[in-house]
Amino acid sequence: MIALPLGLIAAVATAMALTGQGSDSVLRHLYLAPTIWAALSRGAIGGGLAGGLAGLLHAPFALPAVERAGLTSRSLDGLLSLVLPVLVGLLVGHLVEGSRARADRLRAVLALKRRLDGQCPLEDALGDVAEILRRALRARRVALVVGHDIRSARVASVPTGSLVDTSCAAAVTLASGQAITSRDLRADARVWADEAPGASPLRGISLPLVSGSGVVGAIAVEWLGEPPRGARAAADELAAHTGLAVENARLTIRQQRFAEELSEKVAAATARLRELDEAKTEFLSVVSHELRTPLTALQGFSELLLRSTLPPEKARRCLVYLHTEACTLGRIVGEMLDLSRIEAGRPLELRPEPVDLDPLLERNVELFATEHREHRFRWTSSPPGAAVHADPDALDRMLKNLLSNAVKYSPSGGRVGVSANPAPDDPGMVEVAVEDDGVGIPAEQLPRIFDKYVRVPHPETAAARGLGLGLSLVKALAEAHGGRVEVESLPGKGSRFRLLLPGLKGQF
Amino acid sequence: MLLLSARFEPSAVASRRPRRSAYAQVTLAAAVVVATGLAIETLRPSWAGFGHGLATGAVHGGLIAIGWLVGTNGVGWHGPAVRCAAATLFAAIATRLSPWGALAFLLVPAGLIYETRGCAAMRAIGMCAARPAHLLAAVAAGGFLGLHLLLTASLTFGYRVHTSPAVYASALAYDIGANVLSAEWLFRGALLTAWWRLGSFWPAALATTALALGRYLLDPALPAAPEARAGAVFYLGLVGLLACSLRAWSGSLLPGFLASLAFFAAYRTLTP
Repeated sequence: MIALPLGLIAAVATAMALTGQGSDSVLRHLYLAPTIWAALSRGAIGGGLAGGLAGLLHAPFALPAVERAGLTSRSLDGLLSLVLPVLVGLLVGHLVEGSRARADRLRAVLALKRRLDGQCPLEDALGDVAEILRRALRARRVALVVGHDIRSARVASVPTGSLVDTSCAAAVTLASGQAITSRDLRADARVWADEAPGASPLRGISLPLVSGSGVVGAIAVEWLGEPPRGARAAADELAAHTGLAVENARLTIRQQRFAEELSEKVAAATARLRELDEAKTEFLSVVSHELRTPLTALQGFSELLLRSTLPPEKARRCLVYLHTEACTLGRIVGEMLDLSRIEAGRPLELRPEPVDLDPLLERNVELFATEHREHRFRWTSSPPGAAVHADPDALDRMLKNLLSNAVKYSPSGGRVGVSANPAPDDPGMVEVAVEDDGVGIPAEQLPRIFDKYVRVPHPETAAARGLGLGLSLVKALAEAHGGRVEVESLPGKGSRFRLLLPGLKGQF
Repeated sequence: MLLLSARFEPSAVASRRPRRSAYAQVTLAAAVVVATGLAIETLRPSWAGFGHGLATGAVHGGLIAIGWLVGTNGVGWHGPAVRCAAATLFAAIATRLSPWGALAFLLVPAGLIYETRGCAAMRAIGMCAARPAHLLAAVAAGGFLGLHLLLTASLTFGYRVHTSPAVYASALAYDIGANVLSAEWLFRGALLTAWWRLGSFWPAALATTALALGRYLLDPALPAAPEARAGAVFYLGLVGLLACSLRAWSGSLLPGFLASLAFFAAYRTLTP
């Protein structure tokens, strides 16, 4: 919009000519208004141009007066009117440009800080930041390189689509932290440009982005022709702000990630605590039930023996029942004591010795086969001389727990197999396998079944009694022997537990 | 974007510059021809201004040759520079020998365009086409300054606007082929481009304008009256800065050339 002020200046000169006024006409002051207008809208160039036009148009009025009358006060006033619009235009334009540049810089700083607030990934924001910088610096092209090495750095350039050479000026700035300035990139011997020098120089500057942790990137700016006044200072200032903003964005993103991870961990821990709380509640209910059942039997049969005189045969049967229930009670209390010892971090008192597996397996299989006649037990005898180095009582308890689980979680008529062999995948270990064709265990439950108080719910086995301590105890005892327990299971197909214990040296 | 896509070697040496001996060769050759012309003019006045033509042609031919030297950075400048200088010399002599001889000045810009075709270094100094808007603006601005000169000179000093068509046409041909052409080629083309690359635009523009002004003030054809000299400084300074601005704005020498030509077209009508 420079044409309108220039037109107004021409109109003032025309009015002076038409009214036949001299160089001291009051109308000459009207030159200043459009000159200032041009300066406000177009800066120093516009103001200078308008002021120059005003001076030129006033010259035909002022110079003849000087020629006629010499240097009088009137002619000097006329000469001053030639120069004044130019000076006013340049000065006002200069001040306007300076204040606009400062305002633009401040706006750019605010905009880039808003964009780099860490709410989105850095690579998404870099393109917008480069555009903000390009507008603020009135540059032809701007590129932002964020990172410590050009090969791994994130690069954004506007307009987009620039190739990146690993030895480019921005890479040198990134590596050295030094600013690079070129007055004409296409004619600079340091730049291996494939473009011939153009009609206007291609100015270039590459500045490091510095934060508290050192050089975090580089900014490359190119101007075609003359950069705006104060462009270098503006670029320095914006580079400093961008460096800090990039670092802040990184820290914010890292902090957010940390907070998210922490929140996830807290949520998982809370869920686990809730689970444990529910398991404890269930455990207490099961314990009270498990303890009450044998106690009720003990009370009932002992009262029967005390109050009535029973025939010897019946009394003996009562005593057998009393003995069985007392054993059950003892087993439950023993398991709980063992687990409390394990939880307290105290070692189990084991007395390892060579144990021949065949008699142990045979005895337990016969025992369970007698108690659970509805199940079919199959025992495969071990290779001759199969023996482990273990505490016999602990081994017996492990075996009983595994067999008890196999019976509990397989339907009536189901098969339970027991075998002992050298572990095929673990030399020096003996594998005692207990398998069933019961309900099986869902895959997602498998990692938890050796935890304490965990019982896998299943509609077909809901009536099965237990504290959810058996497998946890088996695992603790196996590990105390230097072995381990593993499980393979398919829902609806059955489960296979492998108890791996150290064999006798030189056995296999 | 060259700061990203081009390899950068911080220790690379500065690009090649023309040797001083090259400038000395051109200056010496021009000086010899000018001296010869002046000698002929003094010793043989009957030769109808042949010596004067020789000197004029040598000055402008020398300026054009230096423009070649600066513009090409001293690479492959000899042939084109000598041919263009020879064309200028020929036109200047032809002007003195025949009334239609001034038309030979039109050969100089044509030869310059021919010699610079396809040369990237010459495109860089502005030997390229310009947009019509730039050309129109240049003619308007140059014409405005020319008319302003006519108005001011007639109102202030009582100069008249009058000239014979033959003299006017001859002067215009001289401006096209030598006076304006050599100034734009050297000062607004080669020197402004080179100095702009080295520093900022306005210092380069002021320096080249001052040099061009010096060249005009040394021209014996310029009237010796103080008001004429003051007017020359004022108007040629403005025309020079205008041509520099047009060169930066358009990227081409053509708008500045047309603006100067429009100014000189008005100036040539002025008679004291």
